[in-house]
Amino acid sequence: MLTVSMTVNGNPVTSEIEDQLLLARFLRDTLGLTGTHVGCDTTHCGCCVVHLNGVSVKSCTVLAAQANGAAVTTIEGVARNGELHPVQRAFHECHALQCGFCTPGMIMAAIELIETHPETLTAETVRDEMEGNLCRCTGYHNIVKAILQAAEEMRAPQSARAGGGTREPTTPELTTGEGG
Amino acid sequence: MRRKEDERLITGRGQFTDDFNLPDQVWAVMVRSPHPHARINGVDSVAAASMPGVLGIYSGADCVADGLGEIPHNPVPSTQYDVKLTARGGGKVFIGSHTLLPTDKARYVGEAVAMVVAATQDQAQTAAEAVAVDFEPLRWVAETAAASAPDAPSVWDELPDNILVDSSFGNVEATDAAFARAKHVVSMTHVIGRVTGVPLEPRAALGWYDAKTDRYTIYAGSGGAVRQKQEFARVLGVEPAQVRIVSLDVGGNFGTRNRAYVEFGLVAWASRKLGRPVKFRAERSESFLTDYQGRDLISEVSLAIDADGRFLAIRASNLSNVGSRCVSLSPLSKGSGLITGSYDIPYATLRSRATYSNTMPTQAYRSSGRPEVTFAIERLIDKAARVLGFDRLDLRRRNLVPPSKMPYQNAVGSTYDSGEYERNMDRLLKLGDWDGAEARRQEARQRGMLFGLGFANYVESSIGSPRERADLIVKPQGVEVVIGTQPAGQGHETSFAQVTADLLGIGFEQVKIVLGDTDIVSAGGGTHSGRSMRHASTVISLAAVDLIEKGKQHAAELFETTADKIDFVDGSFRIAASNHSVDWFELAGLVEKASPDGSNRLWVRRDNEMHTPVFPNGACMCEIEIDPETGGLEITRYSTVDDVGRCINPLIVHGQTHGGIAQGVGQALWESCYIDPDSGQPLNGSFSDYGMPRFDNMPFFKTEIAEVISPTNPLGIKAGGEGGTTPALAVIMSAVEDALAEFGPPEITMPATPLKIWTAIQQARQLNPTGRGNA
Repeated sequence: MLTVSMTVNGNPVTSEIEDQLLLARFLRDTLGLTGTHVGCDTTHCGCCVVHLNGVSVKSCTVLAAQANGAAVTTIEGVARNGELHPVQRAFHECHALQCGFCTPGMIMAAIELIETHPETLTAETVRDEMEGNLCRCTGYHNIVKAILQAAEEMRAPQSARAGGGTREPTTPELTTGEGG
Repeated sequence: MRRKEDERLITGRGQFTDDFNLPDQVWAVMVRSPHPHARINGVDSVAAASMPGVLGIYSGADCVADGLGEIPHNPVPSTQYDVKLTARGGGKVFIGSHTLLPTDKARYVGEAVAMVVAATQDQAQTAAEAVAVDFEPLRWVAETAAASAPDAPSVWDELPDNILVDSSFGNVEATDAAFARAKHVVSMTHVIGRVTGVPLEPRAALGWYDAKTDRYTIYAGSGGAVRQKQEFARVLGVEPAQVRIVSLDVGGNFGTRNRAYVEFGLVAWASRKLGRPVKFRAERSESFLTDYQGRDLISEVSLAIDADGRFLAIRASNLSNVGSRCVSLSPLSKGSGLITGSYDIPYATLRSRATYSNTMPTQAYRSSGRPEVTFAIERLIDKAARVLGFDRLDLRRRNLVPPSKMPYQNAVGSTYDSGEYERNMDRLLKLGDWDGAEARRQEARQRGMLFGLGFANYVESSIGSPRERADLIVKPQGVEVVIGTQPAGQGHETSFAQVTADLLGIGFEQVKIVLGDTDIVSAGGGTHSGRSMRHASTVISLAAVDLIEKGKQHAAELFETTADKIDFVDGSFRIAASNHSVDWFELAGLVEKASPDGSNRLWVRRDNEMHTPVFPNGACMCEIEIDPETGGLEITRYSTVDDVGRCINPLIVHGQTHGGIAQGVGQALWESCYIDPDSGQPLNGSFSDYGMPRFDNMPFFKTEIAEVISPTNPLGIKAGGEGGTTPALAVIMSAVEDALAEFGPPEITMPATPLKIWTAIQQARQLNPTGRGNA
């Protein structure tokens, strides 16, 4: 057993855990944040993507212990003050989800993709960069459209705010568990 | 209209099965067979039982001792519109028993033969590895043709030759005569391989037996909670009222969840034995091995054609591999009724057979049975055009069923309700710019790429469980519609609310659709075979008429008049020739107020039974480019026109079509449940070794909806979504053949992987070193 402390969606948490506990299980089973889904256990499907210090990780292959001291953001933490994140809104508007199981991971991966591509995003870039997230319902068509729409919207105000925006700070000091 | 269900799903507040946990719950892990076929001589659990956390270890013998029943899959389609499948000579189809755990043999790799329950999942997993099952390996057979061969090992002792279905249909004499006088006969044998559904939510179940109420609750996502309530009541030997199934958000289905899984019954049973809630959660590798799988059909088909290119008759022989247990004959049955495709072919004969094998059972998967037969006829027509020198579109046009013949009864007895097949083609060829393809071929050629243009028509049938029920309950806050369909992403909460709002003259946001908890949903047919929109809209339409009548009666009492003096206009009840008016919600409030004990409420329940099938149809084309040096393939254009009947929500229907396309394309290009012929081991156990449609191998789609209203139901609905899948296998392989025309074309089986394509190109080049492909 070991003790981990981190902030999850801005809230500090401290917990005693089994050494081998995975971050996805910690979020779901220990903290009850069931928005993060596990679809494959092997880092292939991307349903479990969360942000670890602003970087997308597949939380099914990150130990909870690796997140000690980190800031974790999950799908439950991206809407602010009742306002949906532009990516969440775009998924709704473009019908980019059907069963919704892959959706949290898609949205989390897409947020980081847009934030790390301040230049104009193309459909080709979205398809290349999102390749690690699987969806079985949509054929990806509307997801690509949603990400491009959200990117458009996020870029406009962000350029006025000198790139920082109001999102989670993206300090990439902790890069363990990017997951491969 | 955007979807109501999105808000919870985009904010992480969905309610999928694994999101449910109960206090004091423990974990079940299955001990699975490593053999494709083995006698079970004993289960030794002594070592495992003493391991940390272990609470119980159960085998088939324990199930028998507790009197657990078989899962009553009822696999033979039985509505009057289904093709009648029988054993050889018209006898009863032999259905092997499906108990929760077997006592005699394991019949496929991955079959659960024992269950370990422990305090944690890790402990249960560790102990499961220590359970010693005394397996006696037996001869096995997995491949479809081999399983039907005379010397094949018997999967069931009761059925030595494995052939559970052998039925023939059609007019033999007339077909023989047509073949005898035909100018041309073209034949092909198609192998449509085994795939699996891969819903992204792995299946899971949480069982809880409450001794105080003597009731079981099973949280388990499925394609129909009501059906599973009946089935598990039978398995557990209790009344249906003692079983509650909760199936709220379901993370994909595609048919895989429409048959009951043994683990769902096992967790309920174990909970009773242990007095604690028991949870099971499949790993992805378990899903690959033991989710119900799809397709697996061999189709031998011949077409008789006259000198002008008119189709005179068709002969087909289809062999379906049902796996080790028969859970559904729907794929074979559905396909059997559609062997003539979209074409007016006067005579047909068909032999439909099904064989057992040592594999995971197959079940209706994403457009059950229709992609297979569409593949058979559309690929055969492409071949006929190529070999006989017809234009492939002209040959089709000459033979399409014309609108003037609708409703049209095909040569095996299916009656197509409506459709404008040639108009679909015309719309599609414009949408996909067929005429511009030649210029794109030349342009691709200049870049060194092989260009392929594929085409397919299709017609399919939507039948499904014939009964549906709707409760319409008006409350001061809004209207609730309780219904027995079971979506897994199809947006029922939205499209059914649209229909209800329209019928009752209220706002879309004032309607709430309630699904998936059998303590609320009392009856219903679930979601499969494209039945839901058609059945739901029909029963809701009927219920709405009843509800308006009931509203008039309540309003009459309120205004101290008679119901015939009340007009229902724009969502309000008005007394004729007066200013008095009351809307639904005021009326519900007044009814509630007048009945403080709740005995009187503004609600109706309506049951409906509807058997007549509908026949969605359409046309599809695609363009691909192949790099001859690598065999790599890219889909550059993909267009479809789908006649779905009346379309309630185009946003949802287009989305369903997109996903349907991806699944069909997946089977054509990447997906395969491959079994090693030497060991019988399935080799696709993870996303590393099962090819999937991905962001970077799918194109944008051009999809167009045609609305030829069906005369069979009040709103004129057919079905959407599966039409994306139905022609996709054929259209992709049509394009592959076109791209490789200069090399023969070679025969390539699905999935058409880069290795197969590259190898075929290399072989053709060696045979013909001066060919154009060597440029």
